[in-house]
Amino acid sequence: MSVVTRRHEELHETIEDELPDAILDFDEHHNAPAVVANPSRVDDVVRILKQNGYNHLSSVSAVEYDNRYESVYHLRRITDDREDFDEINVVAPADPDEPAVETVSDVFKGANWHEREAYDLMGIRYDNHPDMRRILLPETWKGHPLRDEYDVDQPQYTTLEAHANPIEERYEVENDAALDTMFLNIGPHHPATHGVLHLKTVLDGEVVVDVDPDIGYLHRCEEYLCERLDYKYQIMPYPDRWDYVSAGMLNEMAYARCIEDLAEIDVPEYAQVIRVLAQELSRIAAHMLAVGTFALDIYGELNVIFMYAFKDREIVQEMLEDLSGQRLMFNYLRLGGVAYDLPEPRDEWFGKIRGFLDDLPGKMDEYRSLLEGNELLRKRAEGTGILEPETAKEYGCTGPVLRGSGVGYDVREVDPYGYYDELDWDVVTYDGCDNLSRVLVRLGEVEESARLVEQCVDILESWDGDREIQSRVPRSITPPAETENYTAVEGAKGELGIHIVSDGTEKPHRFKIRSPCFSNLAVFSELAEGEYLADMIATLGSLDLVFGEVDR
Amino acid sequence: MVTFNDAVADLLGVDGFSPLVEFIVGIVGASIVVSVMLTIIGISAVWLKRKWNARLGDRIAVNRIGPAGLMVMPADALKLFSKEVVVPEDVDRIGYKLAPMLAAATVLAAFAFIPFGSGLQIADPETGLIFALAFASLSAVPVVMAGYSSKNKYSFLGFEREVAQAIAYEIPLVVSALAVVPLVAVFADTSAPLRMSNVVTAQQGPLLGVTGLPIPNWFIFAQPVAAVLFFVSILAEFSRNPFDLPEAGSELVAGYLTEYGGVNFVLLFLAEFAAIYFGGALFTALFLGGGSGPVLPAVVWFLGKTFVFYLVVQWFRATIPRVRIDQLLEFGWKYLLELTFLNLLLTAGILWVVL
Repeated sequence: MSVVTRRHEELHETIEDELPDAILDFDEHHNAPAVVANPSRVDDVVRILKQNGYNHLSSVSAVEYDNRYESVYHLRRITDDREDFDEINVVAPADPDEPAVETVSDVFKGANWHEREAYDLMGIRYDNHPDMRRILLPETWKGHPLRDEYDVDQPQYTTLEAHANPIEERYEVENDAALDTMFLNIGPHHPATHGVLHLKTVLDGEVVVDVDPDIGYLHRCEEYLCERLDYKYQIMPYPDRWDYVSAGMLNEMAYARCIEDLAEIDVPEYAQVIRVLAQELSRIAAHMLAVGTFALDIYGELNVIFMYAFKDREIVQEMLEDLSGQRLMFNYLRLGGVAYDLPEPRDEWFGKIRGFLDDLPGKMDEYRSLLEGNELLRKRAEGTGILEPETAKEYGCTGPVLRGSGVGYDVREVDPYGYYDELDWDVVTYDGCDNLSRVLVRLGEVEESARLVEQCVDILESWDGDREIQSRVPRSITPPAETENYTAVEGAKGELGIHIVSDGTEKPHRFKIRSPCFSNLAVFSELAEGEYLADMIATLGSLDLVFGEVDR
Repeated sequence: MVTFNDAVADLLGVDGFSPLVEFIVGIVGASIVVSVMLTIIGISAVWLKRKWNARLGDRIAVNRIGPAGLMVMPADALKLFSKEVVVPEDVDRIGYKLAPMLAAATVLAAFAFIPFGSGLQIADPETGLIFALAFASLSAVPVVMAGYSSKNKYSFLGFEREVAQAIAYEIPLVVSALAVVPLVAVFADTSAPLRMSNVVTAQQGPLLGVTGLPIPNWFIFAQPVAAVLFFVSILAEFSRNPFDLPEAGSELVAGYLTEYGGVNFVLLFLAEFAAIYFGGALFTALFLGGGSGPVLPAVVWFLGKTFVFYLVVQWFRATIPRVRIDQLLEFGWKYLLELTFLNLLLTAGILWVVL
């Protein structure tokens, strides 16, 4: 019996002993066992699980069934020991007429936003939630769009008053000192928000007193769309549109992993190597952009770091274009493999990659000297935007943001997929917990990605077996009814997870995207409050948010 | 050194002009200076800035209109001047419209005191240096007007920063400039060491000869510390990187410029670039020997040095990140102020001992 299985049995007993009335049932999801909890006691169940080491709440997903709503919590265990990785799901079934579930936001602060999203899109109320507002849609929206009964044709009105600010009033009446504060709308159109983020900011002089990120300006109903498309071909182009700045391959892998796992589709080894190659090139491009835009946020001008990073990204972008025929919306992965074999002539393409990899160490030195060697930049980036590891875990931060706080959680390492297990690479962590650390993590990861790319190129160059790029996949993919699966991959920004609930047809019943940027943004107000306005902007840049992924 | 009017009088072989002619010749001189400066600013702001920044960042920049993109200058000018002037509804109209004019006027007027050399100096009062520095300080006023009258929170934050910054760096600027004044008195042997022409005259001779190669008596060699302090202060005074907080592209959208468009924007923009050149001109006059240099006429040397100053400022723009407001003020009050006073006292002390 493995460690994990034994732990599950022990947990089983612990929960039943301590909370006999909170447990309704035990269930088995495709990725992990599930605890079916009494909706009014679900916080206790999650708390027990947290005490037993499940310290990372990946996502909260709301699912509608004929006779009930379900609120599904995906918990993970992050420790230093890779063997110790484990998942567990908690399911809280709710009444079909008046769905209500007890909030777990007092157990995991990160649940706050996830529950708001579930409320917004599916209409499940979370009792005792500190801030039960809509999150993606405007406050005046009628209905909950992911419900079956939702009428897409009904007119919706969003008035300007809907955006009147609640914080302003709170700050103006609370006490006299607060009268000196100024309310400032940063965004949705602002040079530093990297897209369409609206920060409702209260400033005391230059110091940020309160900030409330307002998202949803780029909500394109990705989940809704995916639920109406078939697994085999139609969904695959959509992941490219989540994190759209060149991280498309990683997003596609997130979907491919989840459905291949659920429908038990094998991927030929050759295709797996190509997938890793494509993903890591994508990651290099995405991190280059992140480093460049961070510099842009601190400089506010077209500075050399930004230009150099963009130039290097362009080289990678061209390789990806050669591979997939597209610059950003790759649509390159297929279930059971990839769409095309490597571009011909292969040697020329490999030569291009090798040329880039040879130049990379010199370039990385230059980036390091530009970022670390610049006294003024260090003054700005060091010790600002402090994210303690405990806070980061509490909010479900992942990716370079978490690794910049010294926690070495990388899905590729703890929960390996594809070909990563066969390759040699390291997880990069810095424990400065500040803006500079997060950027240095990304620089380090570019180097690690380059190592992976090099190994993939070596393997592919000396490949003498069958070049099978796709396995035989059934004409229509129909995972068994009532099965569900949550898997994640390491996207450019962190744990990019997909939760698919199947109803036995060739379209998903529920398609939930766990976006790393969403959770990384949720922690933002903790980072920004008490900082100077300029540092808040720098912190926003160091979180590396892409709003296609936050809003979906 | 003579003023423009004296030079013209010399040329015509007359002793002096009647007040009316004096006035007219003065206007002509001012027009020449302003035209020269505007041309240089036009070239720098629209074309050179892009090309130079692109060079630093491995880009190409404008290259489609005319040879090396040079025709972008008339094209941009045409575009900017033909834009609709949009005045937001709630602004304080008087302040909003006056600020750009004042901004351009003050900084262009300041060039009157600059000894370009070759007889191109409009006014040379006995307190020229103080006048010039006063005009430099005046550049904060239109920024405040623009920021306050715009009724925009970003503009508001921008001008608040400008005020804090101007106050913090005013004193270091003046005091570091004053450090050269005792030297002027000594080298030019004059009782009017604040006169700008005297400042330049004092820097003409050789400081000391090393193996036959004379090092010129530029105050950057005699007063290197003051030169660095003055350079930093002038960057802060005119809000250039890394002290460009009133504009702060990534934080405040465009700071005090946020609500401006069309020709009003052009004037503010022009004032900004003129301010860089004015800073460069002051630096050249105070520390780089004004128009001193071999072969070429003095005015060419002077403008060349100013040009280099401009390129250095733009180079900073591409490579040095902006400081935070608290760091800026801390640096100004805690270090720069003390250092400039120390330098002034040291200069005075050394001269007192030596002489």
